[in-house]
Formats: sequence, C-alpha cells, structure tokens
Amino acid sequence: MIRGLIVDDAAIMRLRLREILEPRYEIVGEAGDGNEAIEMYDRYKPDFITLDISMPNTNGMEALEILMQRTPPPRIIIVSAVGQQRLVIKALQGGAKDFVIKPFESPRVLKAVERVMSNGTNPG
Amino acid sequence: MKAEYANVFIRSAVHVFKKELNINMSRQSLVKKNAPIPGLPVCIILGITGHVRGQVVYSLDKSFAQDITHAMLPNKLPHELKKYINSAVGEIGNMITGQASIELAGQDKIINLTPPAVFTGDQMVVDFLEMPTVSLRLLSEMGMLEINIAIMEEVL
Repeated sequence: MIRGLIVDDAAIMRLRLREILEPRYEIVGEAGDGNEAIEMYDRYKPDFITLDISMPNTNGMEALEILMQRTPPPRIIIVSAVGQQRLVIKALQGGAKDFVIKPFESPRVLKAVERVMSNGTNPG
Repeated sequence: MKAEYANVFIRSAVHVFKKELNINMSRQSLVKKNAPIPGLPVCIILGITGHVRGQVVYSLDKSFAQDITHAMLPNKLPHELKKYINSAVGEIGNMITGQASIELAGQDKIINLTPPAVFTGDQMVVDFLEMPTVSLRLLSEMGMLEINIAIMEEVL
C-alpha cells in the first residue's frame, strides 16, 4: 500500500487530510512543523508527503529544501493557504510536485496524490 | 490604512466561509479604532510583514467557533469537537489572510504571514499594536466575525 505523511500545524487540517486519504493510502504519521516532518520522513520513508507552508519553527519551504536533499527525495504536495504565485513557483522549482491551495475540496487532494504517485514509486 | 485593504479582507472572508463552510457572510459594519483589540471572546492573531506590516485580529463568539468546528468536521460527535476548536478557528484565520495575500500579490503587494495564535476569553493577556485599525463586522446566520486590520505600508 502507498504510504503518506501529513504535515500541518493545525490539528484539524491533519485530521481532515487523514480522513480524505486514509481509505486509499496508509498514513504513517502526522507532523506539526518542519522539524517533525524531517524526523518522520527519515524514520518512515513515506512515498508522499502533504506539506503545509506556514508553520512554527521550521516552516514548509525550509523543510522542502532539506527534504529534497534526501536520497531518495520524497514526493511532496504543498497544501497551503498561502498560494501566492511566486510561492507556488518557488515550491515547484524547489522540487514539490503539486500545490493545493486551502480551502480545498477532497477530490483536489486525492487527484494530486494520484497524479504524483502515478509517476512511479520513489526513485532510488 | 487604505480602504482597498479592507475590501480585500472582506472578499477573502466571504470566499473562505462559502467554500470551506458553505456559510454566506455579509458585511455589517466598519468602524475605526486605535488598536486591533478584539470585541468578541475568541480571538485569532496573525502578524503580517512585507509590502504592509502589522496585525490582523479576528474575533468571534464561542458558540460560532463551535459551529465552525462542527461544519469543518461534520462526522465528529459534539464531545469530540472540543479539542479541535482552537485549531479550527486558527485555520479559518489563516485561510482568510492567505486568500488576502494571494489577491494582494496579484497587485504586486507581497506579504508574509505568521502562523495564527488563538486566545480565548478571560485568559487573554495580549499586547496589541497601537496602530490605526479598521474593524469590520461580517454577519452570517450562524454568527458574527469581527476582523480588525491594523496594517500600514512599509516605507522603503
């Protein structure tokens, strides 16, 4: 089963994303900031990550940069309320595979994960 | 503060409440204040830097906060919702401010947001910026949302 990690500082958004994704994917963990996300990626090596941007401590853009240096690099879908065009471009150039803007509808999130995972399993 | 900023936040709040909660909001009042001190007991504070800097402080009643949480998690029982209330209203504040940042970026006004901080009722001991503030009230069938916008354009 494809395995995912949910990263968001808001507990309610972690729960909502879990409810959307869990029937189809195994959610290996939830992280509340970028530091936890990096630790959990190293521990569980999930196939994909949903990553919020605006978070305390290490934010999503900082975490993205660190995570993309891992081998293999994770498949990352940004899920954020801060969907300014320059941030979307910066995230995609930094290695994110998709950018979902909050508020979102469930099919948008599922489609993003499906599309990201249909490109094959983690390289390496 | 220019009136255009108030309009951006009104549009953003109306959009987020409709899309996330299926709640129709309409503008009720606009007053000027000397600081973004909230008028209702549950408050969400976000800091803003960039083209403009300052604070946006949202406030609402506890019952409206509970109803918002229920609308975001319709399958949860009432006793299960309690632990998600702060998170729910914080995220609504984050979404409204994030939506406003998208619209402002379209006008080449780039802003950055801090994560939301949520405070409730009597325990609230917060230093608010002393800054000219526009205080908006938006009304829905479920309750009222107050948005206090205390921002000024950064002088370069």
